[in-house]
Amino acid sequence: MKAIIQIESLASILVSTLWTPIFVGIFIAIVAYALWPRNKTLFDAAARMPLRED
Amino acid sequence: MTSPSSVSKSMTMGEAGLMSAFAVLAFVCFLGAAMGHDSAFSFHAALACSASLSAVVMIGNRYLDRPAALPAAEIGGRPNYYLGPIKFASAMAMFWGIAGFTVGLIIAMQLAWPALNFDLPWTTFGRLRPLHTSAVIFAFGGNVLIASSFYVVQKTCRTRLAGDLAPWFVVVGYNFFILIAGTGYLQGVTQSKEYAEPEWYADLWLTIVWVTYLFVFLMTLVKRKEPHIFVANWFYLAFIITIAVLHLGNNPALPVSFLGSKSYIVWGGVQDAMFQWWYGHNAVGFFLTAGFLAIMYYFIPKRAERPVYSYRLSIIHFWALIFLYIWAGPHHLHYTALPDWAQTLGMTFSIMLWMPSWGGMINGLMTLSGAWDKLRTDPVLRMMVVSVAFYGMSTFEGPMMAIKVVNSLSHYTDWTIGHVHSGALGWVGFVSFGALYCLIPWLWNRQLYSLKLVNWHFWISTIGIVLYISAMWVSGILQGLMWRAYTSLGFLEYSFIESVEAMHPFYIIRAAGGALFLIGALIMAVNLWMTVNAGKANETKGAGAVQPAE
Repeated sequence: MKAIIQIESLASILVSTLWTPIFVGIFIAIVAYALWPRNKTLFDAAARMPLRED
Repeated sequence: MTSPSSVSKSMTMGEAGLMSAFAVLAFVCFLGAAMGHDSAFSFHAALACSASLSAVVMIGNRYLDRPAALPAAEIGGRPNYYLGPIKFASAMAMFWGIAGFTVGLIIAMQLAWPALNFDLPWTTFGRLRPLHTSAVIFAFGGNVLIASSFYVVQKTCRTRLAGDLAPWFVVVGYNFFILIAGTGYLQGVTQSKEYAEPEWYADLWLTIVWVTYLFVFLMTLVKRKEPHIFVANWFYLAFIITIAVLHLGNNPALPVSFLGSKSYIVWGGVQDAMFQWWYGHNAVGFFLTAGFLAIMYYFIPKRAERPVYSYRLSIIHFWALIFLYIWAGPHHLHYTALPDWAQTLGMTFSIMLWMPSWGGMINGLMTLSGAWDKLRTDPVLRMMVVSVAFYGMSTFEGPMMAIKVVNSLSHYTDWTIGHVHSGALGWVGFVSFGALYCLIPWLWNRQLYSLKLVNWHFWISTIGIVLYISAMWVSGILQGLMWRAYTSLGFLEYSFIESVEAMHPFYIIRAAGGALFLIGALIMAVNLWMTVNAGKANETKGAGAVQPAE
């Protein structure tokens, strides 16, 4: 029972106070993914996707 | 004797299930029509009853007419794209566009000449205004979004749309929702929540249709032949998911009776206001922005024959929009009972939104780098590029108006109406027109009937927009200044009716602008009609190379 209460309070801390750093962290990870030099070839190909004819 | 076929024909689960479901629904609606507590409810139930019966007949006929095997996913190694539902939705978009612009013009003229409401309940401003907003946003814009999303997701995933009847259910079901909503407003059936006016039974129906839409889109993504999901599909998916969440969040209502049209929202007071504008602003953010940005990301590169300028920027500004937009709603409730901190939060996030918005604008405009000359020769591309410029303008104006001191002048004035229309006519309208000018020839495999008419449309409508928004700027700021003007003795300088009187010339200019916009759309409808019915068949690309020299 005590453990459940602890998990619940942990979850409430996570959603009520920690969401700002969590979301900022996720966003920074997305920006890093977008700017990662090795992904450039993938993105250059993706940018041309509308132009492809089948 | 019929010739034996290799595959024995039988109904799919979907066909049999939908036919039975519609048969049951027809019966339930028949009872609802007979026992309804108010005439509007009975009318809607009767409408739903006949629509359900028609659906049973149409699904049955479709089954009898079709070959035993369902259409192949691929023909000759190429995807066998599913275009029927897209054709329907794009035709409906054009129809609702004309209807919505016409009603807009009527209510604009009512504001200038109030006698035009004819003193009839059905034609009062209060009933026609939601008819106008729903017809242009949800009927016109919604059909453009559904049509283009079904097209783009197939093309960029190189796979046939998921489902056989489901895509038809989405497009027809969505338009039936519009019909119920629109005829309800005229009879005074409304929840009185802006952009969420439809009553509980229309909301329930839309939920079913929208979840089906989400499933069709997701399942098409799942069976894609391309490993990478193109950015336009990300925007479409964000639009579909968020609209589902917003719709469910803003509409929990208790009907007074299950046989009547009236219901009450479960939230009360300022909570209801906060939910309403969380919904309202994100309808702007995810319906009128994310969805149409998806159109921008596919149709502008395709038309300009240039790749997306920066794919990296597209990823970053997509996620920035997603993270920020959802918090901007409280700027609709400045200086109200909403707690001050919530107002400031809404203002702050609205200002931050300026960055990702302009990221999208820059990406759309710069996609033309190396192809700027096409703006002179291709009015369709020009229309879409001007739409992106309007997007940039209204997403600068919006954050500015969300600042509390600016809002204290602009709120409740015509400035808001001007701002909305620079976004709606300039951005959403023009990018939709551009998409339809591309889509209709592609779907029917025709050449566009006349580029000259597109040029006429472009200029007439652009002048219309400029008249509209500049009239509303002047009128709105004038109105705001008159309301806050004090005499040296501390009394209000103007009575309210004096400010109304001062608006009169601007209302006439606004109606003239709206009339020009409608004329442009009528030119477009003629052009697209001629494209489909009298246009030249499109020659297959590269066919000339294999033809012998004459």
